[in-house]
Amino acid sequence: MWKSFMAAVLLTSSAAAHELTPTYPEFKPHIVDGVYYAKLHMWNRREDVKYYEISVHDIEWNKIPFHSSKKIMKLEHLEHVDFEVNIRKSDLDRIEFICTTSKHLKSDTIGTGVRSRICSRIK
Amino acid sequence: MFRTIITLGAIGFATTGAWATEIGGNVASKCSVFTANAGVYGTPTADELSTKTADGGIDAKVRYDVTLANAYKAKIGWPTSFTTSPTLTDAVNWDGETSYSSGTVTAMSGYEAAKTEYNEYTEFALTQAGSTWFTIESEVKYGTSKAFPGGEYKAMVTAICVAN
Repeated sequence: MWKSFMAAVLLTSSAAAHELTPTYPEFKPHIVDGVYYAKLHMWNRREDVKYYEISVHDIEWNKIPFHSSKKIMKLEHLEHVDFEVNIRKSDLDRIEFICTTSKHLKSDTIGTGVRSRICSRIK
Repeated sequence: MFRTIITLGAIGFATTGAWATEIGGNVASKCSVFTANAGVYGTPTADELSTKTADGGIDAKVRYDVTLANAYKAKIGWPTSFTTSPTLTDAVNWDGETSYSSGTVTAMSGYEAAKTEYNEYTEFALTQAGSTWFTIESEVKYGTSKAFPGGEYKAMVTAICVAN
């Protein structure tokens, strides 16, 4: 019974996933004056998605300007990536969420697709 | 005797060296969103598309894995527009339902009663660590009993995991 359950869990685990860590990133002062940065890590376990968009929001989900080496990242299946989000010191108190959202090519979706978004929170 | 001690010592050292290889890792708080089922629209009538099994469709299903209780909430939205469709000249009416399907912890069954719904979104507080499956139903009606034109129809479910 237990073996069947584990087999079912493992089979389901092969489904596609999207991960973003840490849950609570911290902004640190950048070497450039007036700029703060946070480091995040993404792992693309979604076989059907290769592109992810980074976004930064306040508590009302308004977008906050930021800089990163890429705003839309290309990640192959099972690829890991570390990335930095740079923001202005003046926005530091407003920032609440850093999110990555899956971006889908029209040709990759069959029927209803699933757009996934994971948001880390600044505490 | 002395030689035996030296030999045993050497073997012990060599063995210890072999055991020194370690695998590192840590368990950190995180949320993973899995697509368990992408979902397929069925056509119960000419003016309706539906993912319900009774209507010939397949509901979309997503799985949320969280490693820490009370650290995240799931926010799931049924589609409100087509990403691909033939030209539609009349109003398209969207409806849907997101519900708790199953979980690896018995207490997760309480998620259904505690869910919050607004517009197309349903929020679930992920109060337990483990895996949870949610089912998303989507229904689309065209005009006033108007037949959908032939062609391909695609829409997106939105599955969000937000840290508390």
